[in-house]
Amino acid sequence: MSTEATTLRVIIAAFTDFLTVAIHTILYERAIYPPTSFLSARKYNLSVRQNRHPKVCEWINDAVSAVETELLKGVVGRVAIVIYTKDNHPVERFMLDVSRFPTVALADLDTPLERTAANGDRLPILPRIDMEEQFRATLSRLASCSSTLKPLPEGCVFNIAVELKQDGQPPLNHPQPWMPVQSAKGDAVGGQLQKKAVPVRSIAAGELLLECWIEEADGAS
Amino acid sequence: MGSRLEQKSNLVRKRIEGHTFEDEGGDEYEGSKFGGFTDYFRRKKIKLQNLDAQVRAQSSDKPQIFKGVVCHINGYTQPSLNDLHTLIVQHGGGFLQYLDGKTMCTHIIASNLTPKKREEFKRYRMVKPAWIVDSVNGGKLLPWDAYRVIDEGVGQKVLGFDNGQVVTQASRKTQGYREQTSTSWYTSQLKGREADTPATVKKLPSFTQPLTPEEEIDDDEYPVPEITSSIERALDQDDYGSQYLSPELPHQPCGVLDAATSLETPPKTSPPPVPSEDEAAAKGRATSPVEAAMPAVESAAAFRPREGSQEPDYSMAIVRNSEKLRDISPSKLADMTAEEHNALLLSDPRIRKSTVVHPDFLEQYYRESRLHHLSTWKADLKSQLQALAAEKSSSQKTKLKKLPGQRRYIMHVDFDSFFAAVSLKKYPQYVEKPAVVAHGGGSGSEIASANYPARDKGISNGMWMKRAQDLCPELKILPYDFPAYEEASRKFYDAIMAAGGIVQSVSIDEALVDISAICFAESGTDGVKRYEGAVHREQRKADMLAQAVRDEVLEKTGCAVSVGIGGNILLAKIALRRAKPAGQYQIKPEEVFDFIGQLEVEKLPGVAWSIGGKLEEIGVKLVKDIREMSKERLINTLGPKTGEKLWDYARGIDRVEVGEQVIRKSVSAEVNWGVRFENQEQVDEFMHGLCGELHKRLLKERVKGKQLTMKVMRRAANAPRDPPKHLGHGKCDTYNKSLQLGVATNDPAVITKEVIAVMKGFNISPGELRGIGVQMQKLEPLKAGGEGAELGSQKRLQFKRPTTPPVRNDTATVGRATEDSIQDDVTPEKQRIADINKPSVAIRPINVTTPTKRPLNMLGTQFVLPTQVDTSVLAELPADIRAKLAKHIKPNVGLPPVPAFKTSEQRHKLAPKDFPAIALPNQSQLDPSILEALPEDVRAEILGFYKSPGNRKRGEQALLPQSPRKVRTLPATKHPVKRKRGGGLFAGRARSNLHSVDNSTLTQSNFVARPLAPKHLQEDGGANTTDTEDAEIEELDPDFLAALPEDLRKEVLDQQRQARLQRTGGIDVSLHQRAKARKKKGTDEEGPLDRLLQLPPRPLKPSFTMRKLTELPDLRTAVKAWYQEFSDEGPYEEDIEALGKYLRDVVVEERDVAKAVVVVKWLVWVAEEGQEVEALGEHARATWDQGVAFVVEAVQSAVAKRGLGRVDLG
Repeated sequence: MSTEATTLRVIIAAFTDFLTVAIHTILYERAIYPPTSFLSARKYNLSVRQNRHPKVCEWINDAVSAVETELLKGVVGRVAIVIYTKDNHPVERFMLDVSRFPTVALADLDTPLERTAANGDRLPILPRIDMEEQFRATLSRLASCSSTLKPLPEGCVFNIAVELKQDGQPPLNHPQPWMPVQSAKGDAVGGQLQKKAVPVRSIAAGELLLECWIEEADGAS
Repeated sequence: MGSRLEQKSNLVRKRIEGHTFEDEGGDEYEGSKFGGFTDYFRRKKIKLQNLDAQVRAQSSDKPQIFKGVVCHINGYTQPSLNDLHTLIVQHGGGFLQYLDGKTMCTHIIASNLTPKKREEFKRYRMVKPAWIVDSVNGGKLLPWDAYRVIDEGVGQKVLGFDNGQVVTQASRKTQGYREQTSTSWYTSQLKGREADTPATVKKLPSFTQPLTPEEEIDDDEYPVPEITSSIERALDQDDYGSQYLSPELPHQPCGVLDAATSLETPPKTSPPPVPSEDEAAAKGRATSPVEAAMPAVESAAAFRPREGSQEPDYSMAIVRNSEKLRDISPSKLADMTAEEHNALLLSDPRIRKSTVVHPDFLEQYYRESRLHHLSTWKADLKSQLQALAAEKSSSQKTKLKKLPGQRRYIMHVDFDSFFAAVSLKKYPQYVEKPAVVAHGGGSGSEIASANYPARDKGISNGMWMKRAQDLCPELKILPYDFPAYEEASRKFYDAIMAAGGIVQSVSIDEALVDISAICFAESGTDGVKRYEGAVHREQRKADMLAQAVRDEVLEKTGCAVSVGIGGNILLAKIALRRAKPAGQYQIKPEEVFDFIGQLEVEKLPGVAWSIGGKLEEIGVKLVKDIREMSKERLINTLGPKTGEKLWDYARGIDRVEVGEQVIRKSVSAEVNWGVRFENQEQVDEFMHGLCGELHKRLLKERVKGKQLTMKVMRRAANAPRDPPKHLGHGKCDTYNKSLQLGVATNDPAVITKEVIAVMKGFNISPGELRGIGVQMQKLEPLKAGGEGAELGSQKRLQFKRPTTPPVRNDTATVGRATEDSIQDDVTPEKQRIADINKPSVAIRPINVTTPTKRPLNMLGTQFVLPTQVDTSVLAELPADIRAKLAKHIKPNVGLPPVPAFKTSEQRHKLAPKDFPAIALPNQSQLDPSILEALPEDVRAEILGFYKSPGNRKRGEQALLPQSPRKVRTLPATKHPVKRKRGGGLFAGRARSNLHSVDNSTLTQSNFVARPLAPKHLQEDGGANTTDTEDAEIEELDPDFLAALPEDLRKEVLDQQRQARLQRTGGIDVSLHQRAKARKKKGTDEEGPLDRLLQLPPRPLKPSFTMRKLTELPDLRTAVKAWYQEFSDEGPYEEDIEALGKYLRDVVVEERDVAKAVVVVKWLVWVAEEGQEVEALGEHARATWDQGVAFVVEAVQSAVAKRGLGRVDLG
């Protein structure tokens, strides 16, 4: 077990792995792309779907690595996979709250982390097996989310967004992987919509603390 | 059917017809409630109908023939359920996936029914799938009656309606599976692609011509001229002559003699000469304008002997000229299927005659095939000569003792271009000119042998005449002269025999002779020691012998032979190459390496282009390159046998001895000329014949085989339908398939059955077949019993007849205590004695020394018997002898019959208590007699190690009174049976099993001692308790574990458990705990060098109640308990608030909305459930409702506070 040398980078790598799988799963479950374009794959000992279109995969990988960059800076509060209708109204958001990831200085990214319990014992930073188990549970919940969500209208598209922490500096350098958007706190992005939340699952595997839920726009847009 | 029964199906039909589907907005697409199976199922059926409605809507162009039909499909059908479903729905029918009641549908489709269902559905419309298919094909709904699955039974007549008349008919016999396959949709699909002329009558293969087949009578009208080949003519004569002599004769213009035909000399193997009038007739037919127009080469065909007729040289002209083919345009030809093409080809009776379709084909084929003749003749000759040689050399062979390292002298004697040389004796004028032996000058004949002048021109054996004539236009073509060959061969062998030595005939013109003995006799050595002079003398003698043989053969036959001499067969063969033509060469031991090294690999015997090509790939061209290869490399490239052989060859090693009989490995029959079929029946029939032929050959060889290999040649996709060689196989893809027959057989029926099955498996359309071969391998000699020899492969148990030394002997073994401890199970003594009282050998202990295996108690005596006495034997003895024996034994018991060191050694093993597991031998290896001799306490201690530590802990006293033999308490009477079955091996295994059982019970206790992981364990670790735990500890040594201190042991166990969990990918519930333990260890080892980033302490998880509950199951339990406690009085406000606060904290601080939601849902459910179960007071209910509402609101507000929107709280 690699608990001895768990750095923040390791934790974030584990998370981004999961994020990639989750995005593919969501794309499949919400039928953003035709189901035939998905391959069956195995991750976390769970059968998951992966889009086989090279462009889609590339896009997702790029997006995830952009998220990773931000995560390493420690400024990200939430990661959202947002599904829009044809006319750009958000209908669903798959939220991943990552605000409780440990924050370290950039120089310490590769320094092993350690946490001591009150009684002086060391606590595991990233218990792999536990983590995989929780990822698995979350993914299987995601995979069945279609049953609780309303069917999507035709021609939906998706996007990936990060919500920064209060004090987070938006990444505004060049090249610019992110489009800055002013947050409309309290309401869903870009509209006065009532929204419904469907909790998916929380993950608490050592330092990897994560919450996942789905927000669904309530009522017709 | 009564209207009552129709009612339901009508209803269903109407519902289905009225079913429409717009989008997935209907209520059937909602999720089902918990426990709502009926709802779920109803919706499922609606959804299925939605699918159908869509299919129906999409296929409005199809005729709606099944309107009013509602079908259900039962069981396996052809076409498949899915296909039938689509067919039915597309054509307006209704389809029910699930049959809720038998009256729901109008028809049930099934191919076959179980007897139970047959009874059950007796009165319903059970229809075969063919009904659907035929109806669809016919475009109208056919009466289902013709497709009944269930009929009224054989005895019951039924009314039928036939052409407007009512008829009674006996119901058809119920058909089984066969009918289904032959009439099935798939089969018909397949058939559609095959010949459209399905011959329905299966003709039995026969070798007698049936009554004048129609096609052949038609032949009379055909113009004759096409026949160009004398062989064809001869064939025709044969058949026509014998069959329709008189009708044919008058039509023939007689009297015109064809000189060519008259020159024909029937060779000895040819069939008896045909009646003269036929000949005349044939000749008459042959003279024709076309014949005259034939090129000169063709007329030279007249010289061909009859043997050649198997591959007549009828050029393509005949096919092209054939009326039938000529009539058809080339484009049409191209469009035809292979079967049609063949049919067309075969419609020409002359062609038909020489193809497999002709019933006499096989017989003729083998009678007249030149190659076949040569090979059988060679084989006969070879076996004759071999017999002769064996007879002659047997005496010599016994004389000559083989010594290791002995020099050997092998001669390889070979005619130079045998056929050509012998034939040239009759044409001495051609000796200096290029000449070849072939069966004719036609372009399609192959060269059997070429003389050296011809070889100089580049002509080689096996070349086609056309090419040979291109190379050398003045080539002389000589006919075969088989009698002369035979004679020459005989003389050749006579000469070789005369030379002495061990002779092995390779073929009619080739022999290997081992002349070592003669050479040694000459030099007066034994062939091992190396005297310069002796070796030299031997070599000179060998050369002299070779010269003598050559001279004699030349004198007797007038032909030159070459001789190669070498130290083994390989070298002799290689030397022969150098010797040719008409010379001799001896490879001396010292030059072997260089000589072979210079050769190209393909010059080695047994290496041709195939292996050569592979070798070239790995960079080997010359033999010396092979020497640089490792043996492994060669074996990898060429396979174990060839690789090793080549490796040896490259070093001049060949281990094969002269005179070693090569055992026949296979017998086969193969035909690849004239194979043209029109339909499957012909194929089957032909296979029947071919297998008959194989059977004959097997009988001739007096063998039968276990493995059948089938070879099928199929026209290559890009090959023309008519190959260059008339009726030859052309370019083909070859398929092979072997199957094990299990029992050796030569039964033609069995072979035929298998072969036909294999043929079916190849799935080659009959028209594409070009060659079929059957080969029998894994041969076994036929038993003398002839037909009754089928039992041959069944092994029989051989019971040894025991001899009869006196009983006393048995006791004598007592003395041999130790050295005999590993006794075989067939020690004569035991057998003998068992035999005295019992006829069988039933009681025969396998390993007497194994305490667990010995049924001592069956004696019922208290005598401590020495180990070596067979107890079962003792038991069989009469009482008085037994008593005597016992007396005899007693003194022995006292003194330990053990070498002292052994005891001490064992003691020594026991001494270091800390590591008992390592040194402990298997319990079975302990000598019980040694144990016996040990003091009581020591013995107990030894045995204690074999027992579980758990047992030990529980109390030593269990062991003390036990003698080692009493460890097992299985009833003694059962032993003989058990022992008889298992061999010594099994006995051992059984014993070890016994042990493991012991161990596992022991580890159980160990496991109990292990502290249980805290509460997590119960929640999901329950499954992997005892048995997995056992297995895991099984891996560790229990003794070892037991010896460890408590905490260390725990750690070891944890570690192992973790490893296992990681392997299986499961969750480890006690992970944190273990990690802690490991961490502790880690801190000790880890250097302080690593910089660690200490994370700030995490805020405590919010917890519920005084017990600090955080986990979901605990919360659930708490909530439930809380509700039950206060169900009748309502909850206290502070409790409600506490829960609300906790959940709020969960949402806001712990950030686990899911958990909060689940808890709330649980509370809601518990409250509802409780209210349903017991009637609550109004007040209590109200407060509970209020409380629940409060909690819900608390969670909602908390969620909203985080900006998540409302949560559905059920």
